[in-house]
Amino acid sequence: MSPAPVVAITGLGLVTAAGIGTDSTWQGVCRGESTGARTSSLDGLPVDISCTVPDLEPARHIGRRSALTQDRFVQLGVVAAREAVADSGLDPHAWDGSRVGVVIGCGVGGVSTWESQHRRLVETGPESVSALMVPMLVPNMVAGNLAMDLRATGPNLVTATACASGATAIGTAAQLLREDACDVVVTGGAEAAVNPTLVTGFTQMGALSRRTDEPAAASRPFDRDRDGFVIGEGSGVLVLEREADARARHAPVRARLAGYGASADAHHLTAPDPEGGAVLGAMRTAMAQADVTPRDVTHVNAHGTSTPLNDAVEARVLSRLLGDHAAVTSAKGVLGHSLGAAGAIEAALTVLAIERSTIPPTANLRAQDPALELDVVAGEPRTEKTEVAMSNSFGFGGQNAVLIITAA
Amino acid sequence: MSATYDKLVDLLVDRFAVDRAEIRPDVTFEELEMDSLFLVELLLVMRSEFDVQISEDAASPTDTIEHAVGLIDDQAPATTS
Repeated sequence: MSPAPVVAITGLGLVTAAGIGTDSTWQGVCRGESTGARTSSLDGLPVDISCTVPDLEPARHIGRRSALTQDRFVQLGVVAAREAVADSGLDPHAWDGSRVGVVIGCGVGGVSTWESQHRRLVETGPESVSALMVPMLVPNMVAGNLAMDLRATGPNLVTATACASGATAIGTAAQLLREDACDVVVTGGAEAAVNPTLVTGFTQMGALSRRTDEPAAASRPFDRDRDGFVIGEGSGVLVLEREADARARHAPVRARLAGYGASADAHHLTAPDPEGGAVLGAMRTAMAQADVTPRDVTHVNAHGTSTPLNDAVEARVLSRLLGDHAAVTSAKGVLGHSLGAAGAIEAALTVLAIERSTIPPTANLRAQDPALELDVVAGEPRTEKTEVAMSNSFGFGGQNAVLIITAA
Repeated sequence: MSATYDKLVDLLVDRFAVDRAEIRPDVTFEELEMDSLFLVELLLVMRSEFDVQISEDAASPTDTIEHAVGLIDDQAPATTS
């Protein structure tokens, strides 16, 4: 058997609470200041804070009719995908669309569309429900819209593994390239679930931080005083190609997607398995595919949600597998937890950390939980060269996705 | 044109992001880039905004604005101004 083709990352696009565009997100994450803030759409709820994307204007950023036909999760995805494709130097007007796939992770879909149309149904009757409701709310439509926007007619799907959806999408996309189902895959995650019903659901589960009087201090991964996550929204999109193809067209290869591991805890509806056996398994699978050892992994972009249990389990597994030599960071301190988009946003940030030899700090890490034996970057960005990095994503339902990203 | 026409134009501009300058009585929905799904939505909006009963297949993308105005005027109570 010939060796599996190497998968290159040739384009990045980011839309997050730190801003629209890869540069504004990178700068915001490196500043290390949380974007958590009181959110008017959540007024009156027990948890009324979130990290939302500022200043998105659908008519300007996407198109005249976007607001009529696209829920916000699709809009965020389109903006990030266009940036990623432009960054890759590929031209949707010129490419063979039948060889371009789209794989996007989405945990929830158009929950705000659902909520507003349900209100119409209840308050004014079925006649007032929009004919565009279904195509706006179903989660697969982010990939469907991207196919139309980018003339990409290859394999097209959405992955749903809750908070791991974005990383699952990227791993799935790499598999499509390895088996030669496409030449290019536009992949990532998109989510816009800062919505009264969903936030209330998370509140009732006890998953969210209750530090509502200090919104910018609420998301504090790995901190002693962490008490839950802060919901965010956004999109991260990567362009993947086989490295040989990218080199042949003289495209700059930003990094390599070297390994992907996936597993299920099979333990509990929402709580992670405290032993982290399946998480460890996913990490080992990803490292084996990348042909790297624990010593090689010097940077970890953690799932790091800021919930007491997630961070404890993740830290335990990381220190067991890697020891304490890896520089760990969680972007969720700055950006909040964007659910199905998070894994893709964080994969893109991992690429940037490798390219720029800079590991962003974890916001709000004032006193690291002494039970967590990790080297967590805090305060200032750390200048450090990374050859091999790990990006972790774990979803409710015990779905785990681990990516290994290496320097080009 | 009529008050019905003016109101329909406003709905097309405000709710369907149609460019006001492109709307004329004899222009078709297709020419305004309104596809069949948009037409279904427009008929739903017309029913509630004009309080008329119009069937889901009463208009297609190849019909004109004038045709849609006729659908409403045929149904609307005479008191509608």
